Amino acid sequence: MQSMPRSAVVRSIVRTVVLAGAFLCTALPSAPAHALPTFARQTGQNCVACHAGGQYPELTPYGRLFKLTGYTIGERTLPFAAMAVVSDSHVANTSKSDDPRADFQKNDALIFATASGFVAGKVTDNIGAFLQVTYDNYATQSDDGKFHGHTSADNMDIRYADRLISPTNDLIFGVTANNNPSVADPWNSAAAWMQYVPVPSPTSSSFIDGNTPYPGIAAGGNIAGLAAYAYWNQLLYVELGGYRTASGIASFMSAGVPKDEKTRLQGTNPYWRVTLSREWGAHNIMVGTSGMISDVYDDPLDTSDPRSVHHFRDIGIDSQYQYLLDPHAVTVQLAYMRDSHRYPYFLADQPVTDIDGNPLPNTNTRDKTNVFRAKGSYIYQAKYGASMAFFNQTGTTNSALYDPTRVYGNISGNPAIRGWTSEIFYTPVQYLRIGLQYTMYDRYNGAARNYDGAGRNAGDNNSLFLYLWGAY
Amino acid sequence: MKRAIPSLLALAALAAGCANLPRSRDLANPDVSGKTLAEQVCSNCHGVTGTATSPNVPNLAGQLDPYLVKQLKEFKSHSRSDPVGFEYMWGISRKLTEKQIGELAAYFAAQQPRPQSPEGRSEQIAAGRTIFTGGVPDRQIPPCSSCHGAQGLGNGVFPRLAGQHADYVAKQLGVFQRSTERPEGSVMNTVAHNLTRENIGNVAAYVQTLPEGGSR
Repeated sequence: MQSMPRSAVVRSIVRTVVLAGAFLCTALPSAPAHALPTFARQTGQNCVACHAGGQYPELTPYGRLFKLTGYTIGERTLPFAAMAVVSDSHVANTSKSDDPRADFQKNDALIFATASGFVAGKVTDNIGAFLQVTYDNYATQSDDGKFHGHTSADNMDIRYADRLISPTNDLIFGVTANNNPSVADPWNSAAAWMQYVPVPSPTSSSFIDGNTPYPGIAAGGNIAGLAAYAYWNQLLYVELGGYRTASGIASFMSAGVPKDEKTRLQGTNPYWRVTLSREWGAHNIMVGTSGMISDVYDDPLDTSDPRSVHHFRDIGIDSQYQYLLDPHAVTVQLAYMRDSHRYPYFLADQPVTDIDGNPLPNTNTRDKTNVFRAKGSYIYQAKYGASMAFFNQTGTTNSALYDPTRVYGNISGNPAIRGWTSEIFYTPVQYLRIGLQYTMYDRYNGAARNYDGAGRNAGDNNSLFLYLWGAY
Repeated sequence: MKRAIPSLLALAALAAGCANLPRSRDLANPDVSGKTLAEQVCSNCHGVTGTATSPNVPNLAGQLDPYLVKQLKEFKSHSRSDPVGFEYMWGISRKLTEKQIGELAAYFAAQQPRPQSPEGRSEQIAAGRTIFTGGVPDRQIPPCSSCHGAQGLGNGVFPRLAGQHADYVAKQLGVFQRSTERPEGSVMNTVAHNLTRENIGNVAAYVQTLPEGGSR
């Protein structure tokens, strides 16, 4: 199969935009100005009160305080909300592949990608929750090629918060039980929040921005943690927590995750977060650091050997600047994460051969990976937005990464990925966003050219991604 | 999972009865005092002493009590429907009681305005002073000082303008000029009608520097 001719690509995009437009016209003729998800019903406020330029999930200074005070501002209301994403991905080159149907599933097809249900809001004057469950319409594929949907726990944050405030002192403090390190964070350069558009599962979306490297915590989500936090004078934020496997009473935090995919941690794994922030006039800025040390079992189904763990040490620094003065919203985010990964004994220092049987250096006992991302965005009237992001992942070369598979392989054993994403988006009503992203690579899986050993270049993965994201 | 959900629901039900009145952020509980709401909720944008960091948000320190009462009632009834009104204040005010409104107004009226550094340029401030004190006679624009006071300290339901963020004042003048989104201030529709964009910027820059000679 050859890559689509240009005219077909244009037709596909036009068809998608027309379909999206038709959806907008039929679904939203009488959309009220304040028909909102649960937090907005709770406070009665517009999305722009808490989300910068209305661009959820990025928070305004007020949104950060709403979150840190435990989602307790307002009144108890029906705590349910939902969101869904319809999307279309287009990969620049689908010809350099042995099986384009498998390598680029649903390429140029408008799909119902994912949907989430939320139970969120105020419980008492001190307790609030944000519980997200996500349905992936393309979670698995059977031998006959059919996709099957699956639902599992997504971000979860239940917290107790209190605030001691006077003209000279302001202390917000609390405890959060959550399932993802940094999900409790109020800044959107934090690992859990910087990537924000839900990612569809079909392989055609493998190269969209949401699948590019983001500074993250290796232990990831669907674990169970307890953290204490304090925000003093809107200047200093400190959060300290520990995470364990989501089991027992906390097992709902990994509900729906297949046993063989569940993250199993050894013992209690520490997470920390410290930020300094300041607001002046329409500006606010934060600089911070975060990190986690974790031991993750190699095989979630067999934790009998205490030495069978991957040891991760993630240390990151990040910064966020916002200028918010109606009708303008400007955000700049910088984030860097350094990950040190020590392999379990049976994966370290192992012999590897290339596709021709020639020996490669033994696998590493330890890898280092660095991920940097910078993003700037501008939104006008909380309706029209554009953003530009740069990402760069570098790291140690390791024969363990050697993989001669076409398209998704890596013959250098180096994890380097570098590129840019530009995006335009439009928010016709506050609970619906339509966005178009274009991601360009100048390095993929360690090389600019022929990274898979079969002639595929980084630029062949350049991807266009159209999404329609609604929340109610 | 099966054990966790009933436990959580039971915990939630138990906790739902708990109120923390001295530090509540509940906008629908009539037993929460206006002072508590001012500290726990309003302070997020307006500042705990009524001085707002963001120019999107008005300073309330020293604002006149009757004006604050009137505005909260206008928000609550959706009579005031300018963007900052419906985006932020309709929800905040929807369940406030008369008593809470009175307490909130009293709280912010009693706060001491903080001296501000000028937000406008000196030539804007000088030009704004001319309009504020003398109006623009050839376009039938009366002096602002005739209702808002010589130092912009306000009078009854005519609000204090002294020390208000210039951007907020300019945007509100635009609201008065182009719409009926603030019917309670309909007199301003006539007053502001002939102001040019430049006039608005200048007069907003001037009132932000008031009162002359420092905080009052």
